[in-house]
Amino acid sequence: MARHSPVTGRYVTIEVDGNEYKVFYLHNGTGQPLICQHTAGAHNHQWRGLLEDEEFTRDYNIIAYDLPRHGKSDPPHNKEWWKEEYRLTAEHYVNFIVKLCDALELKDPIFMGSSFGGNVALQLALRRPDRFKAVIPVEAADHAPGFFLDWWRHPHANAAQVCASGVWDLMAPQSPEMDRWLTWHYYSQGSEAFKGDLYFYSVDHDLREELQNIDARRCPVVMMTGIYDYLTPPEATENTARQIRGGVYIEMEDIGHFPMSENHEVFRVYLREALRIVKERTS
Amino acid sequence: MAVDVKTWASKFKNLTDNDETIQCMGKYYTCSFLYDMTDRKVIVEMHDGKVKNINTDPAPLDPYDFALRASAQTWREFAKPVPKPMFHGIWAASFCEDLKLEGNLLVLMQNLRNFTVQFELLRKCGVPV
Repeated sequence: MARHSPVTGRYVTIEVDGNEYKVFYLHNGTGQPLICQHTAGAHNHQWRGLLEDEEFTRDYNIIAYDLPRHGKSDPPHNKEWWKEEYRLTAEHYVNFIVKLCDALELKDPIFMGSSFGGNVALQLALRRPDRFKAVIPVEAADHAPGFFLDWWRHPHANAAQVCASGVWDLMAPQSPEMDRWLTWHYYSQGSEAFKGDLYFYSVDHDLREELQNIDARRCPVVMMTGIYDYLTPPEATENTARQIRGGVYIEMEDIGHFPMSENHEVFRVYLREALRIVKERTS
Repeated sequence: MAVDVKTWASKFKNLTDNDETIQCMGKYYTCSFLYDMTDRKVIVEMHDGKVKNINTDPAPLDPYDFALRASAQTWREFAKPVPKPMFHGIWAASFCEDLKLEGNLLVLMQNLRNFTVQFELLRKCGVPV
């Protein structure tokens, strides 16, 4: 008897700002759409625990996609992308997510992302509060400078290992060794996109003067950060949430910057609370 | 009470040379680095994943590729079985604490996988400060 997972994968082709993307996504569950973004330089396997967690799939239609250039989502098929340096911008990132939600006909989805996925969740709350029921920025802040580094693809070093081991201690030492090494493995696969992703994360994403324009009473914003996150330390997230009208901050113990991937069992406790708050504020 | 540096060096070498995660990809892990613990300095010389030598009393001009410098207290935190947040790795401590990474950092990046695994062995053998 084959041991099939209930998670299924599909491709959908969309056009975003003149780019034709064939996007791969994983899916499981029914009910309220919950669309999930992986971290920079990684792919949707980071959400493997959530995608098979029956407590959540019972009530949520969970979709975890690969951003173009990550995992099984190719770079654009209609562009000579190899002739220019990849640098992700906030505008393109937001446009992509909205186009993907439109293509999948998601009604009032909740958007959740971690790290650069968390930062774009804030961008969505600012730019498209009409399109999302709520956002859950994980390991996010209004500004996250310092990680747009040449080391991520220095030709004299093994970029796969630099990226994977360079983010190693973004994870908590308490997280299970297997999950930390799986996360390491994902990072070894994404080195060519990592630096371009971090252009958004550390350079183009800067909401320090915009937080007052986010209204979490219209589109709830529930932020969560782990105490072992050195890149977006808890105080950075708390300070961001405090400046958003109606913003909520949840601190996560004994976990780091990749909570859904490094320790789903700990993360799920906090996610349950975040979704409870969203439900309370939107029903 | 800090462990004697010679005893520490022997433990650190033994842990490194027998660590499966390092040894399975140890080939070419060849470099040297300074652990500057303020009250104590050591130079670790690696060759193909094995500790070739630990210089426990380095002279001012003894060479190495790169250096990690921090207070003795920071090194003691590194060596806790479960370090506090921001003392759980060289990136965390250099972003948020007093760790300085100096010297030829390209060599560090070229060896980052194994160096990182080896650094966490301090949680098992402690530090000599």
